[in-house]
Amino acid sequence: MESSSAAEKRGAGDLRWRLWALVPILLLVGAVSVFAAAGDSVLGLLGRNPPPVDEFKIRRVEFSPGEIRIRVTNPQRDDLTIASVSVDDAIVPFSVDGPQRLERLRSATIVIPFDWVEDDPISVGVTSSTGIETTEEIAAAVETPSASPKGFFGYALVGFLVGIVPVALGLLWLPSLRRVAPQWLAAFMALTGGLLTFLALEALAEALERQAALPGALGGPGLVLIGVATSYLALTFLAQRLGARGGARRNSELGGLGLATLVAVGIGLHNLGEGLAIGSSFALGELTLGTFLVVGFMVHNITEGLGIAAPAAEEKETSIGRLALLALVAGGPAIVGAWVGGFLTDDFLGVLFFAAAAGAAFEVIVEVGRYVARRAPGGLASGYVIGGFLTGIAVMYATGLLVA
Amino acid sequence: MTVGPLCSLASSPLLASNREATHLGHEHAVGGHAAMIGDAVPAPGGPHDLDELLLPPAALPHEPGRVREYTLVASDKQIEVAKGVTFNAWTYNGTVPGPIIRATEDDLLRVHFVNAGSHPHTIHFHGIHPANMDGVFEVVEPDESLTYEFPARPYGMHLYHCHATPLKKHIHKGLYGAFIIDPPKPRPPAQELVMVLNGYDTDGDGDNNFYTVNGLTFYYAKYPITVSRSQTVRIYLANLTEFDFINSLHLHGDFFRYYPTGSSDRFEYTDTVMLCQGERGILEIDFANTGTFMFHAHQSEFTELGWMGFFNVVD
Repeated sequence: MESSSAAEKRGAGDLRWRLWALVPILLLVGAVSVFAAAGDSVLGLLGRNPPPVDEFKIRRVEFSPGEIRIRVTNPQRDDLTIASVSVDDAIVPFSVDGPQRLERLRSATIVIPFDWVEDDPISVGVTSSTGIETTEEIAAAVETPSASPKGFFGYALVGFLVGIVPVALGLLWLPSLRRVAPQWLAAFMALTGGLLTFLALEALAEALERQAALPGALGGPGLVLIGVATSYLALTFLAQRLGARGGARRNSELGGLGLATLVAVGIGLHNLGEGLAIGSSFALGELTLGTFLVVGFMVHNITEGLGIAAPAAEEKETSIGRLALLALVAGGPAIVGAWVGGFLTDDFLGVLFFAAAAGAAFEVIVEVGRYVARRAPGGLASGYVIGGFLTGIAVMYATGLLVA
Repeated sequence: MTVGPLCSLASSPLLASNREATHLGHEHAVGGHAAMIGDAVPAPGGPHDLDELLLPPAALPHEPGRVREYTLVASDKQIEVAKGVTFNAWTYNGTVPGPIIRATEDDLLRVHFVNAGSHPHTIHFHGIHPANMDGVFEVVEPDESLTYEFPARPYGMHLYHCHATPLKKHIHKGLYGAFIIDPPKPRPPAQELVMVLNGYDTDGDGDNNFYTVNGLTFYYAKYPITVSRSQTVRIYLANLTEFDFINSLHLHGDFFRYYPTGSSDRFEYTDTVMLCQGERGILEIDFANTGTFMFHAHQSEFTELGWMGFFNVVD
């Protein structure tokens, strides 16, 4: 009786203090409304605000026979009106698919009937109602692959060639890896760590570079951090589950196959970004998808298959179906990436893709590190491990030159 | 069914025109200049908006010492220079270019200048006048005024513009206009037009975004200038384009007599004239044909950035 009334009293007290948590929020709302009402006169003390920049963000320029389409976004706080459109410094008649006056972060597509010249460089300009012109140079005008079954299949084939094929080939090293001495297996595991580190750094640099090109309101290194942290923690969560499913092992430690799956997921996220980069560069006429480049990506990515095979070699036996699944997880996203890049080309998605790839790779590096520390004869400091790690980086760098 | 040579000959023109139509309909959906005449043209303004800048006041007979008075007020004004595009201009009497000033040689010009703008301005007239009437040293501060007074000479097509510093800024913002001095012996009667060529750098990068004649892009493409074939067309032409060294005028389908500066009887017979910044002259066209004739800068870039128009020549 006594204790229950004490609990009640504490409960009432708790409630009061929980309600108290609302007070700062209410006060903030009050302060914001007071400022909003009198804001101009307060800011007036500081002088006049500069006029808005009034530049558009040109997100995509597409070419089809007799037509150019420009996708624009308003990246600034103030409204932005599409007033005049030019192609190669000539004012052209146009229509707008969407609103002509764009609110913040709203987009529209400008449609221009235009007899463009195949393979010639071309520039487009969009002028706001205040006379500010935003221009975009296109290195070579080529017909944008449309979302036709043919284009769909084409990108899928490219993604298949640079993603799934090399990973599957790399996995064929599995039987050989099963027969190597433990210290050599540790070396190959370390090599996996090395190549993942290379990929992580590459993806992070790419994500940071791409976010810098985004309009201020959308970009910022924080966006990259969101991608990195989300994928890192998602993989941490996944690693726990895979470990728990491994069952018998103490402390839910990851088994070889579990680790191989994680590596496959990490590499898969990387290939998603890679596919996106290939698809969008091709769609925007910035990339010649020659045989050499595709071969380059294949050589570059075969190491990724090795990276998955090394931890999988721990298990005595792995079914073909399981291996095929691993190849699909690691290589398949290249196809999805190529589709997204080829048909959507969204800088914002690009940043998130690469940031996610970096975060995933970082997480997998940690798992691989733990695994090697646990299993390798001589631990992380053994010559095999150090040599393997550095070789992984060197191999990625060397084969990366093929696609540079 | 066989197609004989005669049959194919007979049908070929039709086929050719069909093919052309298909061609236009698909790959060449643009329509070329056909899309750039009449209502489809992205030009600002209404039908008679530029009449005051196109049609000069009538010339007066020679009467030495007669006083001609004008009032010019400089003010800051946001104007629409291209369809939907505004420009923060500095204007004389609210327009770019400013009003046409016209006098006959030996008239006494009295120009009252009021600076209602936010920056110091002047008026610098081309022509012969005293040093203190030159609009260089006598800078008129905001809310101040000054009266320029001098005899109008020599006859010809001239111009006036602000000469406050920075000069480039004060001119390209819009402070300029046409200044016609008629000769003592009147020119033969004609359909008289004034054309001031200019450009607008709307984004402040030191390059013009738009080019116009009399201030509005594509205006005379949307509203062609109707002239009669039976009388000479006389155009008082001046180039006040900033940033680009030269501008030009090319007339389609005919030739004209071009009198550089209009201050002598010397002329050139041509269809294209090139004008440096500040250069001007008088064109006289006797149209041989009726119909629609284009006129534009022969710098194709200027043409497609607004400096083009049409004459509608009627009997």
